[in-house]
Formats: sequence, structure tokens, C-alpha cells
Amino acid sequence: MKWTIALASLLFAAQAGAQMVDLRAADAVGGDAAAGAAKVAVCVACHGPGGNAVVPAFPALAAQHAGYLYQSLAGFQRRADPASPMTAQVKDLSDTDLRNIAAYFAAQPRSAAATAVAGEAGARLFRQGDARRGIPPCQGCHGVAGQGHPLRGSAPRYDYYPALAQQQSAYLVARLAQYRDGKLADSSNALIMRGVAHNLDDAAIRSLADWLAAMPR
Amino acid sequence: MPTLPLAPLTLALLLALPMAVRADSGVGVDSVRANKLDPSAGVAGAPADARGTSWLRPGQSRSPSGNLYECPLLPPSLQQAGEWEYDGHVQVGYLSAFGDDDNALWNRYVAWDSGLVLGLLEIALRRPADGSYADVRASRISSDDAFFDAAFGRAGSYKVQAFLRELPNVVSSNTRSIWNGVGSNELTLLPGLTPGGSSSADVAAVASGLPNRRLSVVRSKTGLGVDAYLDSRWSVYGHVSEEQRRGARPFGGAFFYNFLFPGNAGALETLKPVNDSTINLDAGLRFAGARWRMDFAYTGSFYRDSDRSFRFESPFALTPTRPGARSAPIYQGQFALEPDNDYHNLRGSLTRRLPWNGELSLTASAGRMSQDDELIAPIDCQGTFGVDTAGTGVSGPNNPFLYNCADWNTPAALSRRSADLRIDTALFDGRFSVQPSSAWLLRGGLKFEREDYRNTYLAYNPLTGDYGYIAENGAMASILPGVVGTWNPLTSPSAITRVRSLPLDEQTATANAGADWRLAARTTLGLTVQREQQEQSNRERRRVDRDSVRLSFVDRSLDWLTVRANYSWIEQGGSRYESNPYEFLYSSSLPGFVPPAGGVPAFTVDALRKYDLSDRREHKFDLKTTLALGAQTSLSAGLRGDWNDYGAEIGRQAYDRNGIDLQWEWQPSAATRGSIYYGFERARLRIANVADVAFGPDGSLGGPDYPTQARWWAYDKQRSRSAGASLDHDFGPLRLDANWNLTDTRGLTSYRFNAPDALAYFADGLDGAREGAFPLMRYRVDSLTVGLSFPLSSRFSLRVFDNFERGRIQDWHYLGLEQARVIDHRVYSDGGPQSYTSNLIGLLLDIRL
Repeated sequence: MKWTIALASLLFAAQAGAQMVDLRAADAVGGDAAAGAAKVAVCVACHGPGGNAVVPAFPALAAQHAGYLYQSLAGFQRRADPASPMTAQVKDLSDTDLRNIAAYFAAQPRSAAATAVAGEAGARLFRQGDARRGIPPCQGCHGVAGQGHPLRGSAPRYDYYPALAQQQSAYLVARLAQYRDGKLADSSNALIMRGVAHNLDDAAIRSLADWLAAMPR
Repeated sequence: MPTLPLAPLTLALLLALPMAVRADSGVGVDSVRANKLDPSAGVAGAPADARGTSWLRPGQSRSPSGNLYECPLLPPSLQQAGEWEYDGHVQVGYLSAFGDDDNALWNRYVAWDSGLVLGLLEIALRRPADGSYADVRASRISSDDAFFDAAFGRAGSYKVQAFLRELPNVVSSNTRSIWNGVGSNELTLLPGLTPGGSSSADVAAVASGLPNRRLSVVRSKTGLGVDAYLDSRWSVYGHVSEEQRRGARPFGGAFFYNFLFPGNAGALETLKPVNDSTINLDAGLRFAGARWRMDFAYTGSFYRDSDRSFRFESPFALTPTRPGARSAPIYQGQFALEPDNDYHNLRGSLTRRLPWNGELSLTASAGRMSQDDELIAPIDCQGTFGVDTAGTGVSGPNNPFLYNCADWNTPAALSRRSADLRIDTALFDGRFSVQPSSAWLLRGGLKFEREDYRNTYLAYNPLTGDYGYIAENGAMASILPGVVGTWNPLTSPSAITRVRSLPLDEQTATANAGADWRLAARTTLGLTVQREQQEQSNRERRRVDRDSVRLSFVDRSLDWLTVRANYSWIEQGGSRYESNPYEFLYSSSLPGFVPPAGGVPAFTVDALRKYDLSDRREHKFDLKTTLALGAQTSLSAGLRGDWNDYGAEIGRQAYDRNGIDLQWEWQPSAATRGSIYYGFERARLRIANVADVAFGPDGSLGGPDYPTQARWWAYDKQRSRSAGASLDHDFGPLRLDANWNLTDTRGLTSYRFNAPDALAYFADGLDGAREGAFPLMRYRVDSLTVGLSFPLSSRFSLRVFDNFERGRIQDWHYLGLEQARVIDHRVYSDGGPQSYTSNLIGLLLDIRL
């Protein structure tokens, strides 16, 4: 009898946990921006001074939300993808370093001018989606002007939704394609994006990215 | 920075968009197809998603009223095939049924059969590029229980769906038919029996040698539907389905009362053929704009019966009540089957947004129900029927109670050849609601409904000049000399019989107004008052008024508790109650009618009040509470009562119902789910009545025809319990599901009476008692299912289950039929519902395609 109870207890307890970071109940990300400044020498080489990247393939980090930045950095550590150039950059950083770096870039102003191209197709997709193709509008989570979640500030989880306006177009194209193709699925927000991007084709991604890059912050 | 407070909710809804905009009108060609092997249509066995209900917010595990959401299902991991993604699996296996596996109750709506089964085939195809999709589902668990379901379309554009469904309804497993031709419209007596010439012993001998057979009606339904968006605001839909029903079920067969005439007459339980179909059509056009919504729809239904009538033979000889005379040798009985009929309805509705967050909705519809089936002749005999007093076998003035079949067995004996009946319906419904402030919601409505009967039928035989219809296939006239069931101004001027169909024209006007007052942020008090006026022709009351007041209270001020309470007061009254508004239906209203000696008998006792029209006061109350016990458990409790007092000295006097239910839900994780349910309901019905001891004209209670000593009372007590418990748990690779269910219903009808005059029959065996009770009626079914599922590989998994079910049935209506199906001149084909103990074991292999 004892054996049966022990086995049953073991089986009940043996629930497999999902390999995913759940951001729905995540805490606010705090950091020391000044301490972070001391750690960003390598970062700005690619992402530009103050996080204002000029190379289209590298995302702008300036004025991005700290929660999102921290989770992105932690994601590179967690995934340790040998094909990613970021893996080597973050592998020796402590969790505190990641928070401080996030706080630093979040505090920097986005100074680069917006690009001038802005197609109507991207604006329509962002604001209205495309019900016929099962694509929801982006503005629900990223704000009417792509500035971040409309409820940011009311709960920590909304700080993990990135601002998209004035982001680098090529970077957005690459990132959306990763979500669409299921290559990023290790956080609850990534799973939201996986469903959202699932029905985006290359042309739709391109038009969205171009329009967002042209949107001023 | 601009903010959108509802943005997360908006996104949640939009994430569901691919499903919601599948161009589905919601009208549906048919409901979701499933079967008894898996009533959830595949949902129950699917693995749960531990990640919860929403990526947007944590802990979304309860509805606004505090009930636990079921853990969502793990979405299928789609496989790639070019532009398409797909997911599919097939479940095949073997079922073994044993015990009382032929029992009708156990087989109802399933017809379990040992053998190979296709549990479920499911294939889903998706093309993300344009939102195209296709779905196929199929199952076959017995010879008459299978479905196939297919749909394809493009999200937000169109949807086409089609299905086939076969569903058996096993109505009896112990039928013994003394007729050949069961399922056809021609029942002929088995060899060894002589139509109109067999004795009770002959019939009993044949019946006792027959094996039990199963009776069932199989429904085969086919459907096709198209839904399409014309643009983002206009959509159209059209659905058609046809259901065919094939089989037979127990029915009647009248050759006059055997109870009154022992050794005579014939009361037969025949087997009616079911061989009909219904075609249903739905089509509509919808508009959904920011301010206006419109809906224009057509609904049609067309019933067709392959047979117009069915015939059966009676084995028994008839004997006249007059000594020395002889009954005509009639034995052929018949019934008209349900007439072919058509139904059309056109409906239009307009809804417009109003200021103050209000809405106004107007609906108008008009419909027509019609039937024009060819009518069957009043009797189906050859030669003569009636009583041969002259001994010649020839009807005529010297043999006045013998009648020629030729005068009645032809459609020429009818006043018209087809029914030509129609009912027109009309409806207008207007409703509005406004919210002048955040604390108030005001609403009101007006509704008008009308049914107009067009045309009536007069039962008149132009060949004989008789009005009315031959009773009991001519048996009554062949036992009681001269009692044919018809009226004739020359030959039977005092006969009282029904000669006309009854039109029941009716119109109902309803007005209601109400308000909901938000007392606090999560507390609402509501009040609704309603007045309903129903006017009708040819009923005991020309007008019935129903007034009601309803109070409602909803409180969610405590996070862990939701309380809902409703109380209704309903008062029914109306115009003067007239006991007999049906005079015009009877021969007594025809010119030339001669009142019989002693006068025209009262139609019924004056004090009778039919329960749908009598004065009535009703109090109705229900209370529902839901307690959230931590994050994983909820407890719901309900209490309800409904008390009806009728202003009737004769008729229904009181009908009360009370009940409670308790439900405990436990969901500690996606891997574990448990629940326990208990429900109890009881009903009490009090009826008072009086027997007529003489066919006199005095309808007064306590008078000579309805004397006080003939009064009787019945008290019916019903009690119903239901309980259930379920547990599902994932032990890693092993999944256990267990379900126990109980249904237990008891009914006891007791009676009392002033004197044996109250009884129609059976004055014997009373032993002086003036009260008693019929034997207990009981229906109890216990069911336990335990199943285990475990994966064999990434594509194969196995499910083993056992379903044990035990039914305990007591129904005194069928007492004695185990010993004999033939009692005097009464033949019972169906042995009635039987207790059973049955078991079903299944082994099912699930293969991912």
C-alpha cells in the first residue's frame, strides 16, 4: 500500500515544466543606468552611440523599454545560439550587468532621424490588420504610434512589449521573420508574436518594417 | 501618450480572429457532430495546455462570475506540406460489449455492437498565405451510428460545409410482433392466426413462441451549407439539410374497449412504420455596420411521409351486445400517418444604435404552415360492418345496424379529398435599451404574435348523408348496435359526435419595461414588469392575462463570491371561463339535431379549470452562488423553488418544484482536473377530479351527473437525484480518466376518492379502501467509466477503457408482461423498459497522420 501511495505521489509530482520564460507575471526591471554606461563600450560599436544604431541590420536600443531590453539580453544568454554574434557578447555578463545595460539604453534619447519612406500598406496592417488573412492589428499591443504597449506603466508585464517606431527596418524584417518561422518561441511574448506573425508573408513584413522605421518616436 | 484601456482585450479578441471570421453565420447546418463513444467530439481526450488561457495576462483561470475555465487544449503542432500546413490523426480499435448488451435503454441513441470501430478521423489543413482551410472529421462506431463532416473555406471570405450523420434510436429490445411486415405500412397476422377469427389463447400461443426483437428508428441526416462575406459588412448564408427516418415503433390499434367488454373487442399495440423525411432550408442576408445591423432571413421546412397510412389486422372476433345477433366479420384496421406539410417563414430585423449607449431593435416576420395531403377513407373494410340482427348478412331497412363498407371505404365518402388546411403566423417584436448614466440601464419591449387558422374540415359523407367519422375501425358499431360514431338527421338524429376540425386562432400581445440599477461597482439590482394578453378563439377563455414582476440581484463585490438571486411573481387571470366552447364542433350544433331524451349531456363538469387557462398565482425563486476557493477550486451552489396555486376546484390545484445543486470543481494544474456534482429536485402535483356517473345535462359539481361521491384526488410526488464525479490526470506519459454518474428518479402517485362511483373501471379489489397509491415508478442508472491512455511512440498512442453501466427500472404500466403479452383481447407487443447490467470494453489505437 505504501508503495502504491509513494508511486502515485511521484507520478502526480512529476509534471513536466514548459521551457519558456513567462513574462505575464514578471517583475519590473530595475537597473543602474550609470553602472550600465560602464558596460556598453562593446555594444555601441554596433548599436551606435547611445544605442542610436546607424547600420540597418542592428537594432536601435536608445529609448527602448528596459524590460524588453533586459529580456532580449537574457534571451541571448539563455539560448546561447552559436550562430548569433550576441552570444559571445553576453555570456560573461551577470544578471545585474544586463539590468544595468538595459537601464542605460532605456534612458538614452532616440536621436536618429526617421526615414522618409512610409507605405500605406504597412500603416493599414499595423492599424487594422487583415482579417481575411487572419492577421491582427499590431497597435493593440504596440500602441497607435508604435511607442509601446498602451497600458505600459499600469503593470510590469507591459514594459516587456517593445517600442517599434523608428526602429531599424532591416532588423524588424529579420525579427518578424524569426517569429513567423517559429525560430523564437522561448518566452510568452514570443509565443504571442508567433501567432501574430504566422500569416505574414515577406511583402507584408517588408511593408510593416518600412512604415515603422519611418514613424517618429 | 494616447492610451487604449481595452487594448489587451482587443488584442485577445483579435488573436482569436482567424477562428471568429471563418465566415460562419452561426445559423448552422446542424449542431456539432459527436457520438456516445466520445460526446465531446474529441475535445475531452485532447491534452491540456499548461501555459493557460492567455499570453496577455497571468492567472486568467476564472470567468467574470467566478467559475473556473477549463484548461485550454494544446494547439496541434502543424506539419508542413508545400504551401499548406496540416494536422491529422485517426483512432481505430475494437469494442466488446457484454452483459445485457441488447437492452434498449443501454443502446438508446448508440446501438453498441462488438467489433471494429473508427473512433475518430480528423484532418485539418491550413494555408497561411491566404487563410484557406479544410477540415474533415469522421466516425463509425456501429452499423447505424456514424458521421462524416467536412468544411473548407477562407478566413473572412467564405465557408462551405457538408455532413452525413446516422443516429439510431433503439426504442425497444423485447418486442414480439404477431404481425409480419414490421417497418412497412402493411401489418398482416402471422401464419397460425386468423384475421377476426382467433381466440385469445390462439394469439397468446403465437406470441409466447416469438423471439424478442429490437425496434429502432434510424435517423440519417445530410446537410450542405455556404456562408460568405460580400464585403466587410454584408454577408450571406444558405443551408439545406435533409433528415430521413427509417424504422418502426410501438403504436396503438383500436377495435373498441376490451376493459368494458371482456372476451370481446380488441386493444392492440401495433408497430407503426417510420418512413419519413424533413428538409430544412435557411437562407439569409446580414449587414453589420457601426450604427445599423440588419438581418433578412428565410426559413423553410418540408415534411414528407413515404406512407399515407398504415394498415393492420385484428386477430379477434367481435361479439354484439344484442343476444342472437352477429357482428360483421371486420378485422382490418388503419391509421392515417402524419400528413406532408410545408412551413415557410420570412423574417427581417433592424437594429440601430441609440444615444446613451442604447440600442433599438425591430423584428417582423410572417409565416405559413400548410398541409394538403390526400385524405384516407373513414374505414378500410370489405362487405359490411356493424351488427347483423336479421341474420342475412345484407344491410337494408330490415337490418338497420348493418352497414355497407362501400359507403365508407372510399374517398368519395369524404366531404373533400384533401386536407387543404393552413395556419398563417405573424410576429412583430420591438425592443430598446439605453444607459442614461453608468449606474442605470433602462429597457423595454413590445411583442405581438398571431396565428390564424385558414379553413376547417367538416366530416360529412355525401354517399350516406352522415356527419362524423366511423369509430374504432367500425368495431364500436359491430359491438353496440347502431352506435357508429356518426350523426344522420334521419337515421340517428340524436347521436352526438364530433363533426368539425377545431381552429385555434390566437394572438398574444406582450409589453415589458425594466431597469437595472448599479448600486455599487459590482452590485446590480434589476426590476422588470410585464403584461401579457393572450386572446384566442374556441377556448374556455377568450382572453388570458398574465402579469409578472421580476426582481434580480447580482453581487460580485467580494472577489471570492458571486451571488445571483431572482424572484418572480406571476399572476394569471382573464375573462369569464366557459366550460364548453366546443358546441359548434359537434353534431348537436347541426340543424335537424334532436336532443336525446334527458337532454344533451354536459360536455364536462362546470367546475373544471384547464391548467393552462385557469387562474394561477406563481412565486418563483432561484439563488446561485459561486465561491472561488483559492486559485484552483470553486464551489457552486444553487437553490430554486417554484410554487403554483391554481384557482381550480376541479383540475390541477397545485404544482410545486424545489431543487438544489452543488458542484465542486478542482483544477490544480493542466495535468489534473476533478469535479463532483450533486443535484436534487422534487415536484408535487395535486389534481382534483370527478367522474360522471350519468350522461346528463347537468354539469354542476355535486349535481346528479357529477355527484360529490364521485370525486377523486391524485397527489403525484416526483423526486430526482443526480450525482457525478470525474477525475482526469496526466501521470507523465500515462493519462487516466474516470467518470461516475448517477441518475435516480422516483415517482409515486397516490389517490383518494369518496366512493367507488369515482372509478371508471376496477371497482373490484378495493376492499373498502378509499385511498391508496400506484406502485413506485423508478428509473436509476449508475455508470462508471475508467480509461487509460498512453503513448507508444511519437505517432502512436493507445487508449483502453471500460464502461460499466447498471440500470434499475420499475414501471408498473408493464407489470405482468413478462408472463404474458396477450391478456384477454389485449395484445402488448413491447415488453417495456428493462433493468440491465452491461459492460463495454474498448481498445483504441490513435495514429498521428
